[in-house]
Amino acid sequence: MKYFAGIDIGSTAIKIVLIDESGNIVAYQISPTGSHFQRNTLECLATLLARTGIKKEGVAYMISTGYGRKLFKEADESISEITANAVGAQMIGKAYGTVKTIINIGGQDSKVILIDDAGHVKNFTMNDKCAAGTGRFLEMTARNLGVEVDELGDLHLNAKGTPLNINSTCTVFAESEIISLLANSHEREEIIAGVHYSIARRIVRLAKRIGIEDMVFFDGGPAMNRGLVASMEDELMRSIIVPEIPQITTALGAAVIARESFLAEGEKVHA
Amino acid sequence: MEIERLERIKKTTAIHLAMEAKETLKKITEDFPDNPDAMGYFYSLFHKFCTDRGMLNSSKKLIGTMCLQVPYELIYAAGAVPVRLCSGAYAYDQIGAEFMPTKSCSLVKATLGMLNVNQSQYIDLLDVVVIPTTCDQKKKTSDMLKDKGFRIYNLEMPSVKDTEEGRLYWQRSVKKFALTLQKVTGQKITKRRLVESIKKISRARSEFRRLYNLRKQSPVSIWGKDVFLVTNAYFFDDIERWTDALTKLNNELEGRISEGISVANRHAPRILFVGSPVIFPNLKLPILIEQSGGIIVTDEVCSSSRLLYDFVTFDEANLYDMIPAVADRYLKPCTCPCFVKNEDRKRKLKEMVKEFGVDGVIYQAFSGCHLYEMEHKAVGAMLETDGIPMLYIETDYSPEDTGQLSTRIEAFMESLKARRRNRG
Amino acid sequence: MKRIKQFVYNSDINRFRFYFQIFAFGLLMYGGYLAIDISSNLPTFACPFVGKGRGGTCYLYPLQHQVNMPLAQFISGRGLSLLTGLVTFILLFILFNKAWCGFACPLGTIQDWITKLRSKLGTRYSTYSEGAFKGLKNIKYILLALLILLTMGMSNAVPGIGKLSEDFMTPYCMICPGRTVLPIFNGDIKQLVVDFSSKTKLTLTALGMAVTGAFVVGAFAKKRFFCLFCPMSALQYIFSKIGLLRLIKDGPKCTKCGNCYRVCDVGIKEIADDVVNRNIVQDDCMMCFKCVAACPEEKCLDVRFLGMPVYRSTEKGFFKRMEGKGKNGN
Repeated sequence: MKYFAGIDIGSTAIKIVLIDESGNIVAYQISPTGSHFQRNTLECLATLLARTGIKKEGVAYMISTGYGRKLFKEADESISEITANAVGAQMIGKAYGTVKTIINIGGQDSKVILIDDAGHVKNFTMNDKCAAGTGRFLEMTARNLGVEVDELGDLHLNAKGTPLNINSTCTVFAESEIISLLANSHEREEIIAGVHYSIARRIVRLAKRIGIEDMVFFDGGPAMNRGLVASMEDELMRSIIVPEIPQITTALGAAVIARESFLAEGEKVHA
Repeated sequence: MEIERLERIKKTTAIHLAMEAKETLKKITEDFPDNPDAMGYFYSLFHKFCTDRGMLNSSKKLIGTMCLQVPYELIYAAGAVPVRLCSGAYAYDQIGAEFMPTKSCSLVKATLGMLNVNQSQYIDLLDVVVIPTTCDQKKKTSDMLKDKGFRIYNLEMPSVKDTEEGRLYWQRSVKKFALTLQKVTGQKITKRRLVESIKKISRARSEFRRLYNLRKQSPVSIWGKDVFLVTNAYFFDDIERWTDALTKLNNELEGRISEGISVANRHAPRILFVGSPVIFPNLKLPILIEQSGGIIVTDEVCSSSRLLYDFVTFDEANLYDMIPAVADRYLKPCTCPCFVKNEDRKRKLKEMVKEFGVDGVIYQAFSGCHLYEMEHKAVGAMLETDGIPMLYIETDYSPEDTGQLSTRIEAFMESLKARRRNRG
Repeated sequence: MKRIKQFVYNSDINRFRFYFQIFAFGLLMYGGYLAIDISSNLPTFACPFVGKGRGGTCYLYPLQHQVNMPLAQFISGRGLSLLTGLVTFILLFILFNKAWCGFACPLGTIQDWITKLRSKLGTRYSTYSEGAFKGLKNIKYILLALLILLTMGMSNAVPGIGKLSEDFMTPYCMICPGRTVLPIFNGDIKQLVVDFSSKTKLTLTALGMAVTGAFVVGAFAKKRFFCLFCPMSALQYIFSKIGLLRLIKDGPKCTKCGNCYRVCDVGIKEIADDVVNRNIVQDDCMMCFKCVAACPEEKCLDVRFLGMPVYRSTEKGFFKRMEGKGKNGN
């Protein structure tokens, strides 16, 4: 039995997905990237293989993606995370509907990808110049409010009053704004909701540059935040698809492409 | 004290410029194997250009120009030599940023920076600087340079080129320019001199057309990054020497084609590069594109094809016919977005896509250039109806965004390759 | 085959046309001495007033004679001769389309010689705004209508006036510059007179002298001045769409450089501006193909005979012709 690996080396986390010859997900592993991502990626891979009992030789083809892809030499090939995300999202999204737009919020960047019926990238736009509207913004918010990042969603949904407007576009200045809101005894839940709406509005502005088409698929770590999802649906004015494990879509896409590449090569050799 | 400070600025900027040029030349020559031998002439030309500004000295009078609407035929006929000043150096861009607004075009900042740092040298060297009234930033640049002591001639350009009024306005403007040139150089533009200079430039342009046509074939025998160097050299090189060097290059390329040598992979996506100009040493995007597996087969930028493509012709070899004929060539087929109603640019791009078998278009716009920024939607829509994908990139001269740009370009290449595979 | 094509496309059609015009001039003005008579229904000015020497007759002359009959006779033997004359004219015309004007017409040739003289003297041509001749161009259709109607008026009573005087003769010929200018080349200046014998003749011959003067002065000031008003051109254009020789433009290739418009003697703007239509011949066009020679885009302007290209714009041809400029009095 042959296996294929997709390795997404993000700024915050490393995601690895293993699929088998038939294209089914066997297992996945998520580890923090840290500062030594070459070493941490190898460790993450080793952990995953040990957990599943698969040997390194059993992995026929590996594709790396994400911002650290070029420097991870062990992979057989590297592709951009845009292409990988598109493939992964289209595959998972099939169960919910036809995906035409993918919104990905990562640790340090956000992207919007338009795909056609065959799952090919039609157009895309990225915000990779600043951290506003990314995972960092949420981390900063959680830190200042003394909560964990994964509590933010529930806190938002428990808010009783109207969300507060966060006016600063820059993460660093927004921090000062949040601190002064707290000092004026505003409710934590309303501040968190305001942060979520601020992120959602930024993303929608980004997406409008290339157009939004139904169905919209939302992935990346922050998609686990139910409060953020609610704000996104409000700002996009439509319901959106959120997969069960939103962090691994891109790595899954890379693994699928790895499988396709390997099988295509094999056909060429046998032909 | 002031002089010492100026000298220091000059020295540091010269070092930055030399480092920038060296890095670009290194990428161009070392990252791509199999460069044509004839390109050696151009590589060493640029090496000299960035380290030794003295090579601009000429026994004839030098006329500085900006943009591509200044009629070079008239300058040669008046016994002077034109040199295009538009700069591509980030080193100069940073100097120019000190007295230009933040959101302004890198090209204008760099040119201003260059003229500022080497002010006294250029004021002596250039008899006059001719700036056509094309875009807003060029117009105001001419004012700033006047204040610094440069002799500026504003070549009046209409904003509408399709009407009779615009055409006649431009013909009168060029005629006045011819009269001024005669005064500056002290040499009369006679009909024999004008015929000779028209023919001289025609020879250069026809060699360029040879190069242009060679790239229509598949596989391609030369990288786009090399072609940009060739056309950039036209800015300042002696025209007859340039024509000879290009002839040698064309001959070598034809030899390569008949031997079946190609520079790129057969499946490399064929790219049409449009938008804000590529000027040495800022070959950031073309190098990224070709390193990511694409090949630039043609372009529509004012530092390359648009500069050399169109020809002058005339009916009678008399000044009253030739001067309006020269004027017409610099106005009517010009696809610069500074003109209102730029239908001709869309038509040209449509035809280029067809003739070159283009897979995708990459549209570069310098941040702050409203003309290119505003036109990109219309161009993208037109290309979409023809089924050609376009990647729009807003950037400037700084090297900081190289990492982000490479992700986008790679994604674009991957999507082009996937489309090709699906088409079978 | 390919080399022959290259040679043709690279050639300087203006020089070829200059020599061909001399040949056609000789044929039409002196061919009669060698017993050459191409046809009496020629789609070009070959003036009967030239006498024995002429190599053919301009169709407008027999047309005016044939149309000079009572309406009733249009459906009879005489009407048949009008028909056969017209058919012969059409057949000869569609062979070369409007190139009869550019390559064969002696009046055109004379105007081109006058233009060459002006150019050699270094005198500038007069320039006009683009709309200046718009209204005046319809004069040729009016003249065409008049030459038919006035002639018919000699055999059919015009309401209120009765039949027109026979002094009208062939009314167009009385004012045509061909009648006065062409015989000069055979040493005959008898036509350069004002005939006082009747009011009609006085008016017509005086007009004829005025037109002759305008013809010469106009040709000096503006290239092919008379051709804008020529009724033969109007008659030809009616049948131009079925011509076997065609000028085709490939719109998408056009860069709108306007070279074609600038060299066009009759100032046709559509050749440069129209990027949609393929058949690009306008009513003033004389198919001299100066535009094709001036076009630097490969295969943008195409001259086709029965669908096969016989001359076209090519990059190499353009460049070769450019190299030849400034020599040969070009």
